[in-house]
Amino acid sequence: MNNTHATPARRFDLGATLLTLLTIIAAVIWFFPVYWGIVTSLRYDDQTVKDFALIPMEPTLKNYIFDIQNSNLPIWYLNSTIVSVGVTFLVVFMGACTGFAISQLNFPGRKALWWMILASFMVPVSALIVNHFIIIADIKLLNTHLGIILPMLIAPVTVIVYKQFFDGLPKEFREAAVMDGSTEFQLFFRVFLPMNWGVTTALAIITFIGAWNSFLWPFLAAQDEMMMTVTVGITAVQDTFGVAYGRVLAGAVLAGLPVATAYLLFQRRVTQAITLSAGIKG
Amino acid sequence: MASVELTGLAKRFGAVEVIRGLDLSVADGSFCALLGPSGCGKSTMLRMVAGLESVSEGQIRIGDRDVTHVEPAKRGVAMVFQNYALYPHLTVAQNITFSMSLAGEPKAKQAEAATRVAKMLQLEPLLARRPAELSGGQRQRVAIGRALVRNPQVFLFDEPLSNLDALLRGQMRLELARLHADLGRTMVYVTHDQVEAMTLADKIVVLDKGKISQAGAPLDLYNAPANRFVAGFIGSPAMNFLPARANSDANGLQVTLGAATMTLPARATLAAERPVELGVRPEDVHLQNAGDGTLQGRVAVVEALGNTTFVHVDTEFGQVNVESDPALRLEAGANVGLSFEKNKVHVFDADGTTLPKL
Ligand SMILES: Nc1ncnc2c1ncn2[C@@H]1O[C@H](COP(=O)(O)OP(=O)(O)O)[C@@H](O)[C@H]1O
Ligand SMILES: [Mg+2]
Repeated sequence: MNNTHATPARRFDLGATLLTLLTIIAAVIWFFPVYWGIVTSLRYDDQTVKDFALIPMEPTLKNYIFDIQNSNLPIWYLNSTIVSVGVTFLVVFMGACTGFAISQLNFPGRKALWWMILASFMVPVSALIVNHFIIIADIKLLNTHLGIILPMLIAPVTVIVYKQFFDGLPKEFREAAVMDGSTEFQLFFRVFLPMNWGVTTALAIITFIGAWNSFLWPFLAAQDEMMMTVTVGITAVQDTFGVAYGRVLAGAVLAGLPVATAYLLFQRRVTQAITLSAGIKG
Repeated sequence: MASVELTGLAKRFGAVEVIRGLDLSVADGSFCALLGPSGCGKSTMLRMVAGLESVSEGQIRIGDRDVTHVEPAKRGVAMVFQNYALYPHLTVAQNITFSMSLAGEPKAKQAEAATRVAKMLQLEPLLARRPAELSGGQRQRVAIGRALVRNPQVFLFDEPLSNLDALLRGQMRLELARLHADLGRTMVYVTHDQVEAMTLADKIVVLDKGKISQAGAPLDLYNAPANRFVAGFIGSPAMNFLPARANSDANGLQVTLGAATMTLPARATLAAERPVELGVRPEDVHLQNAGDGTLQGRVAVVEALGNTTFVHVDTEFGQVNVESDPALRLEAGANVGLSFEKNKVHVFDADGTTLPKL
């Protein structure tokens, strides 16, 4: 420790302190509705309309129990899980395969494929949503898991992240394996994929979170209540919970729970994945 | 058992010809060093032998087999890379037996092979570690182990020691020499370090811009370099070069160096006097009293290493490095004369080739 720098007067940095304060204020403003939602979901509705409380005085799980017993929430959960896990597995696996092929294999049309993927990255998926709806309707896949999953597999960023990653590996890894008699499949499954496990888990987590939270497409593709995902179910079914704040918000909390848990568990990986894809977008 | 034969080998990257019409024969069981400055095509040539780089022209034979178009894994060669290329997600044992595991060999056989190789390379206590937990020298040994386990006919090394510090480099050099003696396998070794080449190899191939400048036994290259490039590249500290003029007469080669002249043993007869370059190694120059000898100069720097002393002398033809008696005490600024060991003076023609002795 250097004494001259340790004096409080010198350490106080106005700019940094202001920035910290601003961040805290922004975080509070952002978090308040979430907090208030959780609080409300734990109270009786007659209390909620009567007075304002930051801490529930008589917390109750009544709303949660009601939601679980009186709606299709468990089925929506199942649907969300099937869709999100399916999308995550397929997006990550196909992204890794495609990225590997574009980065490592020599085949006619490789450049064209790469440019197509880059170009498709420029088109927002929501701009195509009507086309998706018509196509999925035409092939009679509305109200099926597969129908919900298919359009959600368009994830050029995943391919791009993998391609850049594989490009960045020293070519000696490939060559050493080739000299050891490795086939391309072995190279992919035994060298390139396991060497980048971190990237794969990071991408899987953000893909999962994105798929779970997605609303617009599942909302269009699943009109049958039994095929809805959680996000769609709690918002689209009008009188699922009536005009009951506590029940609505309990539903919202339940919908967001898996994602929040995934995020908390894998926080570091998520930020890593966001930086990875942000580096490409930037 | 396998020799390596390259005939008319050429490599082009687009319009750039990196290797040009190269012929080389590496005897079975010998240790051949490819020596040359960075960018001269050493790695490219080694990679062609490994099969990692396609051949633009010519033929590669390993043993009695033409392998020019054979897959890398089927050539009976193993390669050790400069950056080791160890898989970070595998343990030392798994790295060593990776080729066996790819081939689907039974686990017990793999474990046995890992132990056998680890014993040869003193890696036994490290088998369960990952590459990130190893020192540079240990990683280097694992990389060698990965080659050993395949029991190849020919080992290929691409600058395997250049990522190590000087002390470790010296130790690994000895280990490689021992390994070669134990295995008796053909080894082709790429390096830009002439000390490695001189100490390890029984044949050195000096490459210059994709062509063989000279190939031969280390001491032959040292004592009789075929051209100025080899003369300057081999030997440390480097040979001194002095511009001169030369002409043949009945006594031998008359060389004019500034105001001085000397008679050297006869070379290929010159038709007329012409400019040449003299090359003389530091140990073949001797210090004389000022006014004596062939060349006069002033001491610039004295490097006393204990076992020997190098004296750098400024002359009218540039600095000349002289290896002198370590007992001699000399001060910078002293005037000295220089004389040359006449039998050891190399004479290079204007195009850089050595004028051969008669
Ligand atoms: N894949 C490649 N494409 C184009 N040029 C290359 C390629 N590989 C090597 N070269 C060129 O070939 C020359 C020789 O390279 P290399 O064999 O690596 O030299 P060295 O190993 O002797 O340092 C260099 O000029 C290098 O730029
Ligand atoms: Mg090289």
